[in-house]
Amino acid sequence: MRDDAMDQAFILAKDHLKSFLRKVKKGHRLVAPVTNQHNDTLFCTINHLDRVPINLTEQAQNGIKSFLFPQQETLATYAVSADGYRFNRTDVRPEPTVYFGVRPCDLMAVLYMDVVFMGGVKDQHYLEKRQDSVLIGLNCNAPFANCFCSATKSGPFLETGFDLMFTDLGDRFLVEIGRPKGREMLQAWQQFFTPAEAEDTRAQYQLSLEAMAGFRLDVYADQAIQRLAAGLVPESVWEQLSLRCQDCAGCAYICPTCTCFTIVDRPAGPDCGERLRSWDACTFAGFTRLAGGHNPVAHKIHAIQTRFLHKLKYDVDKHGRPSCVGCGRCVGICFGGTDIVRFIKMAGED
Amino acid sequence: MSLMRSEDYLPRPAVIQKIIAENSQIKTFVLALADQQANQAFTYRPGQFMMVSLPHRGEAPISFSSTPTRPGTIELSVRRAGSLTAAMHALQAGDQVGLRGPYGRPFVMEDLQGRDLLVVAGGIGLAPLRSVINGCLDTPGHGKLTILYGSRVPSDIAFRGDIDIWQHHPAVTCHLTVDAPEPGWDGPVGLVTGLLGQVKVDPASSTALVCGPPVMIAAVLTALGKMGFADEEILTTMERHMKCGIGVCRHCHLDSKLVCVDGPVFSRAQLKKLQMDRL
Repeated sequence: MRDDAMDQAFILAKDHLKSFLRKVKKGHRLVAPVTNQHNDTLFCTINHLDRVPINLTEQAQNGIKSFLFPQQETLATYAVSADGYRFNRTDVRPEPTVYFGVRPCDLMAVLYMDVVFMGGVKDQHYLEKRQDSVLIGLNCNAPFANCFCSATKSGPFLETGFDLMFTDLGDRFLVEIGRPKGREMLQAWQQFFTPAEAEDTRAQYQLSLEAMAGFRLDVYADQAIQRLAAGLVPESVWEQLSLRCQDCAGCAYICPTCTCFTIVDRPAGPDCGERLRSWDACTFAGFTRLAGGHNPVAHKIHAIQTRFLHKLKYDVDKHGRPSCVGCGRCVGICFGGTDIVRFIKMAGED
Repeated sequence: MSLMRSEDYLPRPAVIQKIIAENSQIKTFVLALADQQANQAFTYRPGQFMMVSLPHRGEAPISFSSTPTRPGTIELSVRRAGSLTAAMHALQAGDQVGLRGPYGRPFVMEDLQGRDLLVVAGGIGLAPLRSVINGCLDTPGHGKLTILYGSRVPSDIAFRGDIDIWQHHPAVTCHLTVDAPEPGWDGPVGLVTGLLGQVKVDPASSTALVCGPPVMIAAVLTALGKMGFADEEILTTMERHMKCGIGVCRHCHLDSKLVCVDGPVFSRAQLKKLQMDRL
């Protein structure tokens, strides 16, 4: 396969998928969505390709946030001795990982996390996991019940941001090359791929049109963004939402772009312990409370404001796009009905 | 080669050289990094802060109360407020703490060069401004300094050693006030804003520096505006709960800003642009 032939798309017969992934697994940890015995579909590490069926038809409940930014991770260990008070890195080098079957929303979420953790000061713990990762996406032929990625311009089909992007064409996948790591991977295992024909790209285009028409929710994110920018969202909207928020942080934990965290020490003995980083949520009452008790964000209404303004105003101002990727997971998890779709709807009403 | 900074969240050990009890609630810790070379190479700017670690207590942001014009050690003045600061108050000279930093946008001393300074502080709020005051006094060509310092009661007045020097310095006017008197106090009683009317400052050639409790900052910022200070020439520094110090964890959010990287020093002009002007 010549380099100049690599700009075009390729075909991988579905019969060859497992063989391709088996090769990929030789040099990488493989993470893909799998449905477990509880009927939960979750991205997880695949040790035996023959024992666990990869599920490419459901929406994974978790996305891949936790692999790059774990719910809890050890930043360092510490010890107090005659030597003094010393911190040491826990030297666990992350395995090079291929993430397979990543939906456009979750891919966009990783690109956002890249900006958060590597855009300014580079966060070493994120960087080490991210730099040896390969993202293989899967375009969404049929949006799921709570999806609204077309409204946040993060799907259902993506043209950039991935290393490789798969589109399900029935008995075969159309495979597009994005970043260099994808090209390398395709070159390394080129025996599985054949150049795509014009009819394959036509079929992909047709599927993308059908996907755009397949959304079940009407979500006008741009309208909410504009009204937030213009200060037109009335106080009553925040009030109503804050009354229904139960402070569970389910939305933040399930959200592929929520990256607030806390850092705490966990003693392992009188003179030693671990420094841990864990997910946190800006909606928690104590998130901003200072020692001594002063809390600049003392009311639920302001905490709710912080969450939605961050996603739909501050990040639009800072990065040019909202940090909601329209995955719809918070819609499914919020039992108070204060999810972002509800907010967008309320913010758009006069 | 990348110029980007990276953060591994590893504090460096520092040894307490000396502890100065400023009042019953505030102690100043004079510190040096345990690694001598690292200590010599260490630089910072007034207004910046360090993340201070204590075993099992985690970290808290503490701003420099010392000036980089006096190298060799750094000083962090700490009010006892929570479990970390209480544990810190129990330490002795020779004990160690962990330090990460410096972090945050500083006071730009070059911009203050030649300008008269009006410093308005309350309580522990004098700590970061002490860094600026002593830095100015150490630098030739500084303007006049007017320092107004409010404390709850006379026995709460911190940094008495510095205040004594300032009160005798030809370029400095230093007024103290207390919320409530104690026996032996013959100075003014009342809020620090009350002193603003009694000082002679020319807002056109002055920059105001403000730090203290949130309500005090809000009141002083407004009063300075009425005195004719331009919003760009009113600077304050803010205290926030922080976990990372590098603009990621978001605990210190202030509207669209993060106090750790966009501050902690802000001008009144910057604060006015925020929708939620919540101190």
